[in-house]
Amino acid sequence: MQPTSSMKEEFLKKWQMGLQIYRPLIDNTSVSERRKAIKLSADVAMASLRKGTTCWSRALIQKTATEDNFLVRQMLSGIKAETLINKKLPKVMCHRKIVRRSKKILRRRQSRSAIEEVAAKARKLVKKKTQGLRNVVPGGEFMSNDVLLIQETLDYIVSLQTQVNVMRSIVDAAEAGSERTAYYLGKLKFAIEDG
Amino acid sequence: MMMMNGEATEAELFLNCADMSVLERQRAQLNYHHLPGFFSNSSTINGGEIDDGFLASAGLDLPEIYGEVHGDARISVSPGNITNESGNSKKRKFGCVDTETKVFNEKKKMMMMDREVEVEEEEEKSKITEQSTKSIMKMKNKAKKEQNSCSNDSSKVTKDSQRTDYIHVRARRGQATDSHSIAERARREKISERMKFLQDLVPGCEKITGKAGMLDEIINYVQSLQRQVEFLSMKLATVSPRLDFNIDDIFAKEVVSAPMMNLPNSVMPPHMMVNSGYPHDMVNSGYVHFNPMQQVVTSSDPLACFNNGQSATMWDSDVQNLYSSLGV
Repeated sequence: MQPTSSMKEEFLKKWQMGLQIYRPLIDNTSVSERRKAIKLSADVAMASLRKGTTCWSRALIQKTATEDNFLVRQMLSGIKAETLINKKLPKVMCHRKIVRRSKKILRRRQSRSAIEEVAAKARKLVKKKTQGLRNVVPGGEFMSNDVLLIQETLDYIVSLQTQVNVMRSIVDAAEAGSERTAYYLGKLKFAIEDG
Repeated sequence: MMMMNGEATEAELFLNCADMSVLERQRAQLNYHHLPGFFSNSSTINGGEIDDGFLASAGLDLPEIYGEVHGDARISVSPGNITNESGNSKKRKFGCVDTETKVFNEKKKMMMMDREVEVEEEEEKSKITEQSTKSIMKMKNKAKKEQNSCSNDSSKVTKDSQRTDYIHVRARRGQATDSHSIAERARREKISERMKFLQDLVPGCEKITGKAGMLDEIINYVQSLQRQVEFLSMKLATVSPRLDFNIDDIFAKEVVSAPMMNLPNSVMPPHMMVNSGYPHDMVNSGYVHFNPMQQVVTSSDPLACFNNGQSATMWDSDVQNLYSSLGV
């Protein structure tokens, strides 16, 4: 599935709304401040598209709430903001020492046929990769289920694509605008100097 | 799953979140499954059909969907699914629904196995002794009724017409029948189905077959998308000093309609693409990949609707506004 135009519209509107909140704060004149503002509002806009139904969106909102609580509260409507921000999601905990020890014991007991070894290594690799995926997807540590993880990844990818598409077109528009501005400025200057 | 609640207020959604999410996911799952089931040969999912929200439920009613699946699945899916199994072996029905609720109240896991559908002769009936049951949470009555009636229609010997909270699963021929391995097998199949979806989504991994390789690609793709977002936001921050992009002006003039090709390197601003006479269907199709590694395909850009004649004047007026906003 590819991002649809309605999704992009919605994202854009929400993002605009978020940026409006920043406009009266004039002290974000440094580039990094502005970049942060842009990125945070874009992230919250993307997450709010899902209206709290997916795990990653909730985790993302919580993450941005730690950086800018005010923005998140403003961008989301009342009820959701309160519960989403204050909710602590259960983390998938595992005591690594204990797990490692029990795995060692298990390994000693198992028979070492060649096929099994290969399969075990493959499984290890897959587990490592899924852990890597959990690190990348927001809220991945809270997804105890592999199936859920992949589902969330799917949704997250589509939303990211929407975000990137819209941002890219805005950047292009802004750039084109500034190019044109520069062009006309040059023309104007030339005209003034001439006559 | 998400967009269908667009009408509901957020409060409602939230209060019912615990219940809704379970059902939503069921429906979403069903949609997952009944779509590729019919397009089983083509791996791509037509983006135009699914509108808002990736897991949008095409039909809101659980029973209807199930009815569809059952009705056609027998016809279309059955021939395709008989692979290595002998003619007498049973087939696995498409449309496994699994929901995992990790919602705020932390409800217990819900596994709903799909029913095995028996296709062949009566001699098979006698062989059916194994059944494993899984306990699930209470589903809505209507859905269950439909399921039961459908299963009665389709299979002759299903013994699970009793209205309990259990869904009975039949083991496949020649495979272990204890509940754990069945559960595991179901889980693995679900995962592989999802991975197929991911294959369609992530560019450039049609050839990768293993789970590890696929996961690698997915991780790389997600990371690259995230990096792109960072980069674009930095670019935007440098380009516009005041965070107002004059969007309202630009948008006020047209309707967001035609999706447009967005070149990965984005040198040409969108309006120029339309001007330079790109064939309109190619522009609109949005499925052509120029650069597979970087493709971010369709972009609905409001500026895309500029016509040849109008663009110059529109941009001029916009430029005037930009002047004023930039304080020139």
